[in-house]
Amino acid sequence: MSKSDAFLQAGKTAVLQNIHGTMQFLQRFPPFNQMENTHLAYLVEQCQLRFYAPGESIIRPTDGPVEHFYIVKQGRVVGERTHAGREEAQTTFEITAGECFPLSALLGERATRTEHRAAEDTFCLQLNKAAFIKLFALSDEFRDFALRGVSSLLDKVNQQVQQKAAQTLGTQYSLNTRLGELAMRHPVTCAPHVALREAVRLMHEQQVGSIVVVDEHKAPLGIFTLRDLRQVVANGIEDFEQAIDLHMTPEPFYLSPDHSAFDAAIAMTERHIAHVCLVKDQRLCGVVSERDLFSLQRVDLVHLARTIRHAPRLDTLINLRGEIGQLVERMLAHGASSTQITHIITQLNDHTVCRVIELVLADKGDPGVPFTWLCFGSEGRREQTLHTDQDNGILFEAKDAAEAADIRLRLLPIAQQINHHLAACGFTLCKGNIMAGNPDLCLSRAEWARRFAAFIREATPENLLASTIYFDLRVVWGDERGCAQLRRGILEQVADNRLFQRMMADNALRHRPPVGRFREFVLERKGSDKATLDLKVQGLTPFVDGARLLALANGVEANNTLERLRQLVALDVIEALDGAAYEEAYHFIQQTRMQQHQLQTRENRPYSNRVDPDSLNQLDRRILREALRQAQRLQSSLALRYQL
Amino acid sequence: MSLLSWLLPRKKPLLSLEQQQRLQQLAPAPPLSEKPLRSQRWVVVDLETSGLNLSRDQVLSMGAVVIEDGAIDLGQAFERTLQRPDNTLSPSILLHGLGPAAIAAGSDPVDALLDFMDFVGDSPVLAFHAPFDQHMLTRSLKDSLGYRLQHPFMDVAALAPMLCPQVHQREAGLDQWINHFHLQVEDRHNASADALATAELALILFSRARAQGIDSPLALQQRLNQWQRRKQMHGF
Repeated sequence: MSKSDAFLQAGKTAVLQNIHGTMQFLQRFPPFNQMENTHLAYLVEQCQLRFYAPGESIIRPTDGPVEHFYIVKQGRVVGERTHAGREEAQTTFEITAGECFPLSALLGERATRTEHRAAEDTFCLQLNKAAFIKLFALSDEFRDFALRGVSSLLDKVNQQVQQKAAQTLGTQYSLNTRLGELAMRHPVTCAPHVALREAVRLMHEQQVGSIVVVDEHKAPLGIFTLRDLRQVVANGIEDFEQAIDLHMTPEPFYLSPDHSAFDAAIAMTERHIAHVCLVKDQRLCGVVSERDLFSLQRVDLVHLARTIRHAPRLDTLINLRGEIGQLVERMLAHGASSTQITHIITQLNDHTVCRVIELVLADKGDPGVPFTWLCFGSEGRREQTLHTDQDNGILFEAKDAAEAADIRLRLLPIAQQINHHLAACGFTLCKGNIMAGNPDLCLSRAEWARRFAAFIREATPENLLASTIYFDLRVVWGDERGCAQLRRGILEQVADNRLFQRMMADNALRHRPPVGRFREFVLERKGSDKATLDLKVQGLTPFVDGARLLALANGVEANNTLERLRQLVALDVIEALDGAAYEEAYHFIQQTRMQQHQLQTRENRPYSNRVDPDSLNQLDRRILREALRQAQRLQSSLALRYQL
Repeated sequence: MSLLSWLLPRKKPLLSLEQQQRLQQLAPAPPLSEKPLRSQRWVVVDLETSGLNLSRDQVLSMGAVVIEDGAIDLGQAFERTLQRPDNTLSPSILLHGLGPAAIAAGSDPVDALLDFMDFVGDSPVLAFHAPFDQHMLTRSLKDSLGYRLQHPFMDVAALAPMLCPQVHQREAGLDQWINHFHLQVEDRHNASADALATAELALILFSRARAQGIDSPLALQQRLNQWQRRKQMHGF
């Protein structure tokens, strides 16, 4: 070893010793705790440690494309955006020890949009761009983290939740299991000309409930199940030598093997089918039956849906209500996501509503006029939890005001009966009387259209509040066309009315996410709610309101908040990265809220949306804070867009 | 090096030819500059010694980090444990944790000191209680290399109370300042970790100095001299 090499070598040892402490520090935080030691050592070695006094600017929009990646070692950094026409800068986020910035500007090779300032005495590790890029190439964990920003943190929590559930239940299954892993390897098939008798013999031999009829390329032409066999026998057909294709159900529903068990369960519930074909590259590669899903989950969703749909009496429906609660509990324990659960609750609630309407019609007799049962609010957005109010109305067609009044007289008793039955089934009567049994909510299409137009034209506080409920309308039962026309009318009028949009934006800023400049969370200071925050009003509502406004203003017909966000990304109204972050944040808050509800039920406490952040574990708390910051960002973007 | 060499006055240390060449090539030490603080490279030093006796105790290890362009460069750091065959166990081992084995495995003091001076280059030196480090280093360099240390030293322990007068801590040590600024130090009493902590403290102090309109190493030293004189006068 030459002298200079020895010198270099000794220097390296010193550096390694010296950076050890910094590595230890970083290893307390993701993604650094998952990175390989050599990669982490490389990162630290390339870093400069900088100090910033309170108020000092670290990076700002006028600095040009970002040249460094920063990790807060100590202290606190705030992001501030100054909006046009506003003196004061607005704090959009806070970054504390172990957190990094500015990922999107660095990856996008642009200037930051936010001025980053030290809020107190702050040390940051500063990594130059060349080293950042090298690390990005070297370390999968680092790349993952950088690309997904806060999202990968959220993933960690979701994995944690599912692992916990799997541990307690001793099962590695979840509704996210790929169908390909679940289905039989060799589905029982036959050609279309095979005799009925032969096909049934095959089914019997293989002990299966279905046979798929395929062409010479293995593409599914139809499916024949035991239910079809019952039909054949009931129809009195005696010639079992007839070809199977005369009796099969043609064009069977199919999914790809990459769909999840959840997708299959939903399809079976929606379509009232018991078998789903799996097709890849137009070839049949499996069949998933209702029974496969049952044995997987013991969550008899499909069965429950069917029982609801065929409940003979109101009593039966009331009893089934408790089973929905148990189902949700089991699904949450199995690691189903909040989106899956709200989706399922909505489905089951829709089935319950439909069945109640059918039972009332059977009881009271058909009124002789077609009508459509609408729902609003969270039900309209398909975001119901178990604790839900009724928000519904009736839509019908009428030539003129006189005919409308006449029809209304006939429908109101039925509507009131339905409202009462629903209340018996656990749908609490609406305090604001937003129910179909109210004459103001049993309207013809022209009347609804007039009412909605008034909301948009005269933006009073009451009208704004009403629009946040009614404009999430959806059909639960009956003809869908009238409602689609109403929705198109709303979209056209809102798109044309900038003032209404601006008022809605103002309204969407009412509920501020409870994250502050100085503390982690801004909590209630007084009363029984001391030291808690409201997950629904302060966490979810900003997303719901923001997504609704942007959807209505940009012609998006979807009602569901996540669906709205996705379509807004597709329309370039929201940046893809922002959209993904909003979605994850919304999802996480909703998940936390449902876990709280389950916990309350288990402990016999009254149901509440309030949570004490200190009762959450550290990771959850940190992510909740980050999720609420995303709500804050969405609000800031609205403020900017509408110059509020 | 013979056992009691440090006792013998004017005995020229024995250096190999290569060591002599390296000694010749060491950068001279310029006086403190009037350039902005940020453009000055500093070397922040922490020594672990066998005790606190200025004339008898020895330097056991040296740790140093660099402040350059206003930031601590984590890629540049220096740490050497010196071979001291004649070092006897003393109570200070409890403090620095350098056991006999570590010291026996250390580097030849001549090479280590040459490496250190290479690392320092022409930069001024910062240390906590700098007069102590300055004295110990001066003596070691003289004894082992026959080198006269002329680099300016600045005392972080004096800068801190001058620049943060609102902090009422008489004779505050490094630990008190670390606590005051909530600095995270992972491994205290390891020479380079202590140097890093001192450097972090120095970054805070430079920032405070700039806020008070002091923006060059020379201005900082002048202000420090004034402050110390005034303090002495009040002391009487």
